[in-house]
Amino acid sequence: MAQGPRHRTRSRLTAAALGVLCVLASLTPLTAQGSGVEGDVAVVVNTDVPIDNLTLGDLRRLVLGDKAFWPGSVRVTLLIRAPIAHERDVILKVVCQMTEAQFRQHWIARVFRADSAVAPKIVYSAQSAAELTAQTPGAITFIDASQVSKNMKVVKIDGKLPGENGYLLR
Amino acid sequence: MHEGGYNPPALMAAQFCARISRQLALVSALWLGLAAFPAAQQTQGPPQSTADAASAHAQDTHAGPPATSAEYPSLHLAGFGNIDFADQDKAEGARGFSEGQFVLHLVSSLSPQVNVFGELSLTPRADAGTGSPAATGFNAEVERFIIKFDQSDQLKVSFGRYHTPINWWNTAFHHGQWLQTTISRPEMVQFGGKFIPVHFVGALAEGAFPSGGWNLNYQVGVGNGRGNVISRGGDAGDNNATPAWVLNLFSKPDLAFGLQVGGSLYLDKISLVGQPEFRERIVAGHIVWQHEDPELIAEIASVRHEQIVGTLTTSNLAYYVQAAYRLPAFNRLWKPYYRFEHIDIDSTDTVFAGIPNLDGSTLGVRYDISTYAALKTEGRWRQRVSGQASMNGWFFQVSFTF
Repeated sequence: MAQGPRHRTRSRLTAAALGVLCVLASLTPLTAQGSGVEGDVAVVVNTDVPIDNLTLGDLRRLVLGDKAFWPGSVRVTLLIRAPIAHERDVILKVVCQMTEAQFRQHWIARVFRADSAVAPKIVYSAQSAAELTAQTPGAITFIDASQVSKNMKVVKIDGKLPGENGYLLR
Repeated sequence: MHEGGYNPPALMAAQFCARISRQLALVSALWLGLAAFPAAQQTQGPPQSTADAASAHAQDTHAGPPATSAEYPSLHLAGFGNIDFADQDKAEGARGFSEGQFVLHLVSSLSPQVNVFGELSLTPRADAGTGSPAATGFNAEVERFIIKFDQSDQLKVSFGRYHTPINWWNTAFHHGQWLQTTISRPEMVQFGGKFIPVHFVGALAEGAFPSGGWNLNYQVGVGNGRGNVISRGGDAGDNNATPAWVLNLFSKPDLAFGLQVGGSLYLDKISLVGQPEFRERIVAGHIVWQHEDPELIAEIASVRHEQIVGTLTTSNLAYYVQAAYRLPAFNRLWKPYYRFEHIDIDSTDTVFAGIPNLDGSTLGVRYDISTYAALKTEGRWRQRVSGQASMNGWFFQVSFTF
């Protein structure tokens, strides 16, 4: 059966709409599962944390335990991926400027000095990091930007989000 | 050296100052405790659904099954140990193999904002088995015992027995030999040493000032100060009516990550049996570059003793400079180091009688055999009296945490 002009017009409109959606999706980072730039590491916090932007210095103090409270005296709970994970590598290299061994020694020494009672908590997958961050008041974690979903609160680092030019955590 | 006679007005003034000082100390301690009290009331914590990184010491090997909820108190235990070997031409300490300290570190959270820290050490005794009753094989010591109330980053208040925050090394490494690069501590902060008061029993407030990228931190403490034996803190109470005060300020600027610069002041009255009383003032400073390539530590302390009834005033100085560098080759396992240290004791200082002068060098290398164990070897050259032969020694240590 031959297709009429009306049917062809509808097909073209559908194709055009799909094309526009694809373009929009590619221009809107971090709005849906699987968006964002793979390789960039997003800093994700519990939605109650009253922070939208952190400097690299703030983030370093959080990861190394020098800063243990958010504004409002909510205690920080640091969730960090287990060794070998890309997110952990980026945080140790860019934020802490430490090797894995140095990072471990830093935290052992910190607890031994009585500066902190609790060391960072280890998470073994991005999914578990996201779930625990959502459940835990004051939690902060690091997730590959490609796995960030729209219900997560992503914090800017020095005013930039993952995928933007000059974003540091990659 | 200046000797003074009996001076009643000075004595009355000293007693008045002591009374005021004691009352100030009490008010401060109460204030510190009250400020932290609301923190102690909070008992609900976040779920702890994962393994603690350092409390288990190993983020991969020691992490137990994940906990599903916070339970208080939550006790974590860690240990530090070392085995040593020494070969010296003139023994100042042990020769041959010796057991180092067996150190247990305990930390327990009582609530999200209240924590207890303890450090116990067992040290082998050279006189084990002698005397009546026979001396035990090890000395047990409560090195630190602290309860800490974390109100915020700006205010944390604690009470207990500390390593006095007047010296960077003294609070950075404690009894965990594995944590420090070298085998030996600088002699000015030697355990059992007298130059600075290594231990402090009392109350401490600490925190960070809102200072932007300068990261200014403070520690203010009031406590018992030196005991009848000046190398010890007043564990069972102060031996005089004047408390000791300590103030430590330091900065860790963002722009030079790894740098810490600070200074401290310590004020106390020293009362020793059979000796006149002295005021003690210690002024100290430190600068530390905490990266490993390189690692730089430099500290200086001046200890001044002023006779309360009399005019004798003495001044003593000690400093050290240590440099280390983690070699980039060989998987970054090797770390050579060097330290120079100097101690100059005023010969008229009766409080420090018996403390020898020192010009010493330490040259060694550390090899990290695993993430939690290290082999270290070092040579030491120490000259106690100018013009006399130096004491030389070679030392080896395996230190670890478990």
